[in-house]
Amino acid sequence: MEYIENIPIYLQIKDYLEEKIITESYSLGEQMPSVRQLALELAVNSNTVQKALKVMIEEGVIITLRGKGNFVTENAAIVEELKNQIVNETFDSAYDKLHLLKMDNQEITNSFSNYVKQKEKKLE
Amino acid sequence: MSNVLKIEELNYKKGSKIILEDVNLKLDSGKIIGLLGENSAGKTTLMRIIAGVNSVPEGVITVNGNTKKVLIKENVSLNDHLDGFKATNKISEIVHFYDAVYQDFSITKYEDIANFLGLDMTKKLAALSTGTRGKLVIALTLARSTKLYLLDEPLSGIDSISRKKIISSIIRWKDDDSTIIISDHYVTAIASLLDEVVIIKNQKIRDLIPVEQIQSDYHLGIEAYYEKVYLGEIQ
Repeated sequence: MEYIENIPIYLQIKDYLEEKIITESYSLGEQMPSVRQLALELAVNSNTVQKALKVMIEEGVIITLRGKGNFVTENAAIVEELKNQIVNETFDSAYDKLHLLKMDNQEITNSFSNYVKQKEKKLE
Repeated sequence: MSNVLKIEELNYKKGSKIILEDVNLKLDSGKIIGLLGENSAGKTTLMRIIAGVNSVPEGVITVNGNTKKVLIKENVSLNDHLDGFKATNKISEIVHFYDAVYQDFSITKYEDIANFLGLDMTKKLAALSTGTRGKLVIALTLARSTKLYLLDEPLSGIDSISRKKIISSIIRWKDDDSTIIISDHYVTAIASLLDEVVIIKNQKIRDLIPVEQIQSDYHLGIEAYYEKVYLGEIQ
């Protein structure tokens, strides 16, 4: 994994792990790799992995079972909420930018659906 | 968290030349700390002082609660660049030397690390490439069980594939409560490993700064921050 230099690595690792959970590389209730394994895979210090996991545990995405390790939550609603958050964050900057161009909501919606159509065409 | 290393009021001169001045530093255990500074800024000297190789004329060094040089040596594993060995020495002979000299050296741990790095015990020192020699040095250094490891330029002149292997071995064999101080010219190579950074500039040590603080307060990477400190753009 390549890291962006000026963003704390634990945040980048958190994003990476969340993506894996949302796309079910780590499915609901599944045990996460150990801290050391993740550190090796991600070529970072164990402390950094620990820190990313700590935030995810606080958010309820990961559950710690004492003596057993870390598990992805079994609660699908939490993962769904996480996904919504990422979707919103992704649209936030685009929406703000288009708003600055004085586009109204209808125009923004139309332009986005055109954009998706163009994408589909390219894939055909 | 307890201090694994405490340096108080350290001053160090070579002849009349000041090498290190007014050094005060406290390190918590469990971290990986990058020691950054120009060539000849005093990084190697500082490591040798901490390890008890160089005597301290002025100041107090405490490692894991010990201030006596003999005890400090037992508590610190400093990478030796193997210059004291002969070109004809086999790796196995060097390993036996380490085993004889250091009580905390573990042959089993050495073998695990050496296997991971692909080291061949029968090879002679002279036959090793820079990369393989670097791997041997790291395996010997990490095979000791100490609370403090000092890695002075462990990646210097080493190709990127060997570099990645060496970095992996550091991640894999670092105990949670042991501390590593690592120096390198190319900050980027070790950047993802570091919890905190210490910069030596003009014979003095700047405050220890957490890497996350560099990223969130200055919006900079370690290398850019380091350069700005050196150029005086960050006071």
